This record gives sequence, structure tokens and C-alpha cells, in this order.
Amino acid sequence: MDFEVTYTEEQQRFRREVRAWLEANVAPSMLRTPTSAEDNYRRYLELRDLGRKLGAKGWLYPTAPAKYGGGGLDVDHAIILEEEVDRFDLSLPPYYDSGGRLGSASILVWGTEEQRQAFLPPIYRGEVRTWQLLTEPGAGSDLAGVRMTTAVRDGDGYVIRGQKIFVGSDNGTDRIWMIVNTDPKGKRHENLSWFMIDASLPGITMQPMELMGTGGEGGTDSGVKQTVFFDDVRVPAFALVGGENKGWTVATTHLELEHGGGGRIGRNRVWDRLLRYCQETKRDGVPLSQQQDVRDSLADIYIKTEVQRLFGLRNFYLTYARKPKSYEGPQLSYYRKTTGLWMTGAILEAVGPAALTTDPAWGAPSGFLETQQRNGIVSVHPGGTTDIQRVQMARRIGIGRSTREKAGTVHGAE
Amino acid sequence: MDLSLTESQEMLRTTARSFMQRETPVDVVVGLQKAESSLERDLWAKAARLGWLGIVLPAEYGGSGDSLSDAAVLYEELGRGPLPGPFFSSGVLGALTVLEAGTDEQRRRILPGVATGETVLTVAITEPNTSWGPGGITLAPQGRNGSFVLNGTKLFVSDATSATDLIVAVRTGDGPTDVSLLHVDAKARGVSTRRLPGFLSWQCEVSFDNVQVPATSLLGEAQRGWAALSRALERAIPILCAYIVGGCQAVYEKSVLYTQTRVQFGVPIGRFQRVQDHVVRLVNHLDSARWATWEALWKLDTGRPATASVHMAKAVASEAYLDVCNAAHEVHAGMGVLIEYGLPAHTQMSRTLFHYLGDPRWHKRRMADALEW
Ligand SMILES: Cc1cc2nc3c(=O)[nH]c(=O)nc-3n(C[C@H](O)[C@H](O)[C@H](O)COP(=O)(O)OP(=O)(O)OC[C@H]3O[C@@H](n4cnc5c(N)ncnc54)[C@H](O)[C@@H]3O)c2cc1C
Repeated sequence: MDFEVTYTEEQQRFRREVRAWLEANVAPSMLRTPTSAEDNYRRYLELRDLGRKLGAKGWLYPTAPAKYGGGGLDVDHAIILEEEVDRFDLSLPPYYDSGGRLGSASILVWGTEEQRQAFLPPIYRGEVRTWQLLTEPGAGSDLAGVRMTTAVRDGDGYVIRGQKIFVGSDNGTDRIWMIVNTDPKGKRHENLSWFMIDASLPGITMQPMELMGTGGEGGTDSGVKQTVFFDDVRVPAFALVGGENKGWTVATTHLELEHGGGGRIGRNRVWDRLLRYCQETKRDGVPLSQQQDVRDSLADIYIKTEVQRLFGLRNFYLTYARKPKSYEGPQLSYYRKTTGLWMTGAILEAVGPAALTTDPAWGAPSGFLETQQRNGIVSVHPGGTTDIQRVQMARRIGIGRSTREKAGTVHGAE
Repeated sequence: MDLSLTESQEMLRTTARSFMQRETPVDVVVGLQKAESSLERDLWAKAARLGWLGIVLPAEYGGSGDSLSDAAVLYEELGRGPLPGPFFSSGVLGALTVLEAGTDEQRRRILPGVATGETVLTVAITEPNTSWGPGGITLAPQGRNGSFVLNGTKLFVSDATSATDLIVAVRTGDGPTDVSLLHVDAKARGVSTRRLPGFLSWQCEVSFDNVQVPATSLLGEAQRGWAALSRALERAIPILCAYIVGGCQAVYEKSVLYTQTRVQFGVPIGRFQRVQDHVVRLVNHLDSARWATWEALWKLDTGRPATASVHMAKAVASEAYLDVCNAAHEVHAGMGVLIEYGLPAHTQMSRTLFHYLGDPRWHKRRMADALEW
């Protein structure tokens, strides 16, 4: 076993190339905290622009197959890219693109060749951004219970009607990756289908939701969530991926990745900033990090973030070395969620009420601790609650049911 | 032994609960969240007419002379909102501080206005060091021509943006508890107040820029401020705890109702043992906070030594509210983080009150001291 990622000459060469490129193309202002909605939009456009440039080099989706516009890079190069963008506090893609990440993976596994050729290149090249739309008012944890949003066959296409909630982000989207009911009378698990559709189609409207936080799903901040309404939206039959009423099978890929099966090798940004804050903030002349109470809390927080890092590292390794997985995906997700929630209390205790304010004079820099206080709670819910992660883990460990559940497929044809 | 409320307490509870249901439904509480000042004129006037603002004050100062337990019954109801406003800051902590620290003349001058609601007090204790002990008080007035001049900052002061009068704890000597209390007009030249933005409820910055305070503003005697404040805090904290208990109770009821009405996988989610576990954890916290609070109140009202119980109550209640909200968020998932649903108002309040008047670690240490371990 070797925990140290050792780098070959080639990797180091690639790192120099990537770093030089990022230094030339990532403006520090891209990481600013937006001052207004307009500024937020401007920043979004800058990040989209960066996404297109990364896409053109094959670095936006580095391990995606080159023949569909992805980078076609091996894991050794992908690691370097992840590490280098992480140094800039960015992820790949550098903006919220949940439907791109999860939809493209699902299409690789379940789409037809024509669909791969049509849908994947714009995603991999950063030409489009895509939201994933699963949840509806009556179907959250119970994804198989999707019923309100339906697609009905009509001539050479489908008509979509219904409503999705808690989805997307701010600044709109180009594409929508969504699950709908295609057989209201059909059996559970045999009545759902996935669509990859154009978000500008007539009949699609959005309304922002006011939530306690803009809680990131994993890496990037997801921004303001939306309710999306579908009012008789006509879509081509070509948009249906994986076969009519085969949506539950397709969902296994989507959910496996959303539940953390892909792993992660980045740093914990909250931890890095928390430590720096505690080292730089003095109370009664002594840095917080030198006060015994705070040190005790910091030690607990550090240990949890380290365990989380190790789980992420392991999942990353299992995925790219193509080793079998069972409960590891939901385990990472469960651990990340419960740790984030627990950390809200631990940080509040360590830092005191300064953790609660965005005030430039009395809060932490750019309010990052206040953001954690909100998002540590809000992030518990996206992509399956902690309860659902535990249900998943138990099934995959093989307890409680006669057959042991398998992890979803995450690798497609290449 | 009798752990029930008295008849008049039951009546007060009924009145308060129907007032809250009528005047401050969820949308009103949510609507108030973004206001710079926590004081809503109409509600404040109605509360004054009901005698709620002077509930801890003796009749001679315009109050109703109720016991702390009576006041706690009321505050439990207010906490269910959680109703914002300087009810506690002025009507409990402010009132008790003046009562404990002031001369009789000062009490007669200040307190009747508190009971009618014309005067809105807040006590400014903490500073950027955020300590709740006397050692944390470093703001030192300069003496000039028999008056004081204040320069500096008080931080995380509750409801300061709605206060007319500030009671400011200042350092006036080198001894550990050489603290005095000054009664400062919130409109005096050089005083500015500002609500701190973020995930906290009406905690404010109060800045003093060459503020002239006449010598007559000294409440009671110099250097006796900390002792008076400690006595006031000991009686005020359990009432704050009752407000927290009310918050926990409301969150509990919301959560139970949700487990009965929200259907997933064809059944109410309360059928899932994992969801049951969240609710069980929640109610365990609720009851811990409730009984720790009520025993402390009983000790105070019956003249028993109460210090350790008061510290325990605040430690337990602070932790309870925080984790009650966490558990409720787990129960509700997406619905719970919707601002309009009302749970986030509690979550934010639970974080605010976690530290206000001392966090659990602080109170656990004081409790251990009081028990003379
Ligand atoms: C910030 C945020 C971002 C989101 N982003 C997206 C997005 O981009 N796209 C999208 O489609 N959705 C998104 N969601 C929705 C999210 O996926 C759902 O909130 C989540 O799946 C839970 O569903 P629910 O809120 O309906 O809760 P419910 O399913 O109603 O759950 C309520 C409670 O019941 C429990 N429960 C339910 N079923 C079981 C069971 N079988 N066993 C044990 N316990 C159970 C839950 O754990 C929870 O405690 C987002 C949500 C949030 C808050």
C-alpha cells in the first residue's frame, strides 16, 4: 500500500503545463464573493468562459472519452488537474453543472451511439451547462415515486408537464437532465424515463426558492435553488435516454455518482480557512489556535476532515482503478453530511458568535464561517438524506434483505 | 411535590398562546427576520397593555410583581414563535439589572417606562473578546469634569437597534470585578448601533465615540456593577431558558406533525425508525431543557440556593435548542430549509442563543465551581 501519490516525470511535466495555463487563465476575481445579483451573473459568465477554455483543451471533463469531446486522459493526468484547480479553490467544472456531470455519465452508460454523439460533446467542451431535475413536491427520498411530472408520447415526440423543486442554481441553464413518469398506471420502478432537453423550450418557467443556505452539493456552491414548471413542453423523442420506462435502471448510475461513489481528492477548504482564521485571530492577545479549548475543538474537527479526505481518496482510487465497490459511495456521502452538520456546533463552540456574522469587521473573512453555519445544515439534504445513505449502506453491506444490493455502474462504453 | 402549573399560570399560558396564534403566525415571524430593529411597534404596544413588559417588576415600579416562574410561562410562549423583539432584553434582563443595581430614585425614574414600553433597555456586556466574565470588560470610561467619556465598542449586544436606553458595563478599576454600570441614552451624541448581518438574530454592535455621560448615570455605586449584574443574570437566565424551551417545544410539534403528514414510499415518514430516532433525540433534549429550567426557577422563587441549577439550565438549554433544530432539519429534509416554512427562524435563534449570556462550556465550568467540586 502506498498513500503517497508519487508523480512520474511526465506527471510533473503535465503539472507545470497545467499550472502555467491556469495562472494565465484564472483571474483571482473569478473567486470573488459577488456584491450583487448582476455581479454574480458577471462572475458566472467569467467562469463559463473559463469552462469553455478548459473544455477546448479537454480539461473540463478530463477522463471523459476523447471521441465525444472529453479529455481522454488517464487517471494520472486527471489527478494532476484536480490538484491544480483545487489550488485555485476551483473544481471541475468550475461552475454548477450537476446535470452535466451526472447526465453525461448516465448517457455514456445508457445512451445510444447517436445520443452520445449529440449530447456529450457540448457538455465536455463547456458549451452548455446542465441541471439535474429529480425532486418534486411528492417525491424526494422516494425518487421512484416521481409522478407529478409526466411525459406523454405525442407523434414524433413527448409532451412534458409538471413541476420540479429544489433544483438547479442561479443564472439559468442551457440543458435539463430530468426524470419523469412515462406510465402513470405502470408498476413502480417500471414507469420512469430520463430526458436530456433544451432548457429554452417554450413552456419552461422558473421561480427561485428562498432557502436557509445555498448549500453546496459537494464541491461548488450550488447557488439559489429553483422551482421549475413544465407547461406542455414538447420535446423530441430523441431526448429520451435509456429507453421508455427504463429510468430506474439509468438512475442507478446517476445516484451512485451523486452519492459519492466517484470519490474526491481535493482539500477541505473549510478546514484550511478555519485553521488560518484561528491562527490569525487573537483574543486577549492570544491567537485562538493557541487557546486550549479551541485547540481541542480544532483537533476534533481536523480528525473528521482527515477521515473524510481518506474516504474520498479511497473512493477516487476504487473508481479509477476500476475496483469493485459496495457501500463506499454512500459511506462518503453520509460521513460528509454528518460531519458538516456536527461541525456547525463545533465551530460555533470554538469561535463563538463571530462564526455567525458576515460582518467585515467582526466576522471571518468574506463570511466563510457564517456560510458554513448555514450550509452545514442545508447540505445534509441534496442527493439523499443521511437516513437514505444509511439505508443504502446497510443494503450493500448485505443486511436486512435476502439479496445484497450492488453498487451502480459508473463506467460506460469507451 | 407538584409539578403542575398554578391556575393563574395556566390562564397566562392560554392568553399568551392565543395572542401568539392571532398576532404572530409563521409568516409574521418570518417577515420580521430581516428588519434592522427587532421591535415591531404594534406588537410592542399590545404586549405592554397585557402587562408583559413589566412582568418581573414589583408593583411599586409599575410591574405586575409576578414570580420568575410566571414570567417563564410567558416566555415559553414567546419562544414558540420565536417572537423577536426586545422583550427579554428590556423586560427581563434590563429590568432586573436596574432593579439590582439602581438606587431607589433610579429605579423609580427608569422602571415604570420599561413596564409601559416607552423605555426600551438593553444591557451591553460583551466586547470583541466575546467573554461573559468580568475580565472581558475592558471598556474604560475617562473621567472628565465629574462626568464620564466613553470610547470603544460593545459587541453582540441584543436588540440594541431598538433600545432607547443602554446599560453599559464598564471597567472602572484594576480589581477583577471592578465593573460599574452606566445608564446611557441610546440617542446620545456619539452612540451608534448597528445590527450585525448574518446567521444571528438581532445581535448588534454598539460604538461609543466620545460619548459624554453625566455622573448621575452611574447605576448604584461604582465597582458594584458586576455583583448587581450577576444577581440580575442569575434570575434572568432561567427566563431566557424558558424562551428556549418554548422554541424547542414548537420545533418538536412541527416535526411530529410533519412525520404524520409527509408521505414517502407510500407511508407517513414517521413509520421509518430512522425518522423516529430523530424525533426521540429531539424530545429528549426538549425535556432535559424543560426540567432543568423549571427546577432552577423553582429554586429561585422559593429562595433556595440556585446558582448551580441556573448554570446547568443554560448549558443544557443552549445545547438542546441547537441539536433540536439539527434533528428537526433531518426530519424535514428539503422542506425544513425553506425560509417561509419557519424552521430556519428557530435554527438561527438557536445559534444566536447558544452563546448569548454564556455558552455551554462557560456555564458548565461555573456550575462545577458552584457545586464546589
Ligand atoms: C440545497 C438543496 C439542493 C438540492 N438540489 C437538488 C437538485 O439539484 N436536484 C434535485 O433533483 N433535487 C435537489 N434537492 C432535493 C433533495 O434531493 C431532496 O431534498 C432530498 O432527496 C430529500 O427529499 P425531501 O426533501 O423530499 O425529503 P423527504 O424524502 O420527504 O424526507 C423526509 C424525512 O423522511 C426520511 N425518509 C424518507 N424515506 C425514508 C426511508 N425509506 N427510510 C428512512 N427515512 C426516510 C428522510 O430521511 C427525512 O428525514 C436539493 C435539496 C436541497 C435542500
